[in-house]
Amino acid sequence: MRTSMVPTVVALLALLAVTALAGCASVQPWEKQNLSKPAMTFDRDRLEAGYTEHIYSSREAASGGSGIGGGGCGCN
Amino acid sequence: MQSIQGKHGNGKSRTVGALLASAAMLLPPVRSACADAPPEQAVVSVRYLNYHDSQKGDTDATAGMSRDRIDVQALSLYGMAPIAGKWSIAATFTEDSVSGASPAYHGAGFPADSMSGASAEIRYAGDLSVTRYFSRGTLSAGASYSEESDYISRGCSLNGTWSTESRNTTLSFGTAYSSDTLFLNNPAVVASKKSDTPGRKRVLSGLLGVTQVLSQNDIMQLTVTYAHGEGYYSDPYKDPDERPGKRRMFTFMTRWNHHFDGPDGTARLSYRYYGDSFGIVAHTFGAEYVQPLPNGWEVTPMVRFYSQSAADFYVPTGDDPQARPSVPAEAEHYSADQRLSSFGAFSYGVRVARELGRSWTADVQYESYRQRSSWCISGDGDPGIPSFTFRSVQLGVTRKL
Repeated sequence: MRTSMVPTVVALLALLAVTALAGCASVQPWEKQNLSKPAMTFDRDRLEAGYTEHIYSSREAASGGSGIGGGGCGCN
Repeated sequence: MQSIQGKHGNGKSRTVGALLASAAMLLPPVRSACADAPPEQAVVSVRYLNYHDSQKGDTDATAGMSRDRIDVQALSLYGMAPIAGKWSIAATFTEDSVSGASPAYHGAGFPADSMSGASAEIRYAGDLSVTRYFSRGTLSAGASYSEESDYISRGCSLNGTWSTESRNTTLSFGTAYSSDTLFLNNPAVVASKKSDTPGRKRVLSGLLGVTQVLSQNDIMQLTVTYAHGEGYYSDPYKDPDERPGKRRMFTFMTRWNHHFDGPDGTARLSYRYYGDSFGIVAHTFGAEYVQPLPNGWEVTPMVRFYSQSAADFYVPTGDDPQARPSVPAEAEHYSADQRLSSFGAFSYGVRVARELGRSWTADVQYESYRQRSSWCISGDGDPGIPSFTFRSVQLGVTRKL
């Protein structure tokens, strides 16, 4: 891959760094009122996400990133 | 409270702890903050998409190349139901209708009858997933199928999550496999690619991610995905176009949500790095702000910027951007597909949603998108490519049962 190993290494280091934060986070269950709001989740409306990701992936070379699964189509 | 404190040396801390514990019981469940919990209600949704794109020859080099390209109308259904407290099943079905045409190369070479009202192409797609919920994680198995006249895709996936005891950290993992079949005997297929033997493409992908609560108002997610594909990657309708038979794709995505106490709104920021063995590197930045309003209304403005470099084998336009490009001598791989060129894209949009009673939610979403060769942040864009625009409108209704 011409993109070299640098992004891969950076990504894995970032993953490790965030995982290491697990021991630092001290947010208690009763402090998660704001975190429990739907807007704070990373889940999107499944149909909206399906349309939007499909449009982008058929008009741009890059695709994916937030999840895997689902099949391809002839538009890209 | 004072009397309790007077009787016990650490009475204050005990009292505060009891109050906090009581308050915690009154708060909404925190299942969505980091880890998934079994859904309590079934959900059904229906969503409609209206999409239109066009190209604009708005520079000296691309003058005269303006035209409409593709129209899409789509209707999707989604249903999810909890089962026995520890399981859920979800399914989607989509039917879309595509009309119009795309260029055979760069921004030109459209089929002669593409604007004569030829019948639309219909695609049917569906997926089904079953999820098992554990005390600190989930495991989900899914299958998908998509069919159109010249393309069939079948896929399966396995995804899981695991949370720490505090539920401040959730690890995600997944793997997926898809097998696609391209039928090359369609009359519109480029003559040199016509064949009664279908083309096949198989992609195996994996995902690793971590979601981390950073504070009472901040949560972050990092996701790495890698996909390895083999098979027919060329486009049967583009000419000249001969792509490698393998494609390795790597993405690194980070998302950060921040809640603002004052307006009770949420900023959602994202960045994605993409690199593949075609030589394409892309960066995607996204931002949206979710603002609840009185009477159940919610407004979400959003912006997105995307930039990609060109594929190693991209063949740029020549002196005449409407002329069919010649293939470089002895080139093994080549393509004049503008989606493999270097460009940048900016889009903006807004979603307006409203709760209708306790069970119903309706929303409308609009997006306007423009792609320009001169907006790329890496490499030089191809000035012979006309700018590309689309606008999309989505209407959705959801009901909790």
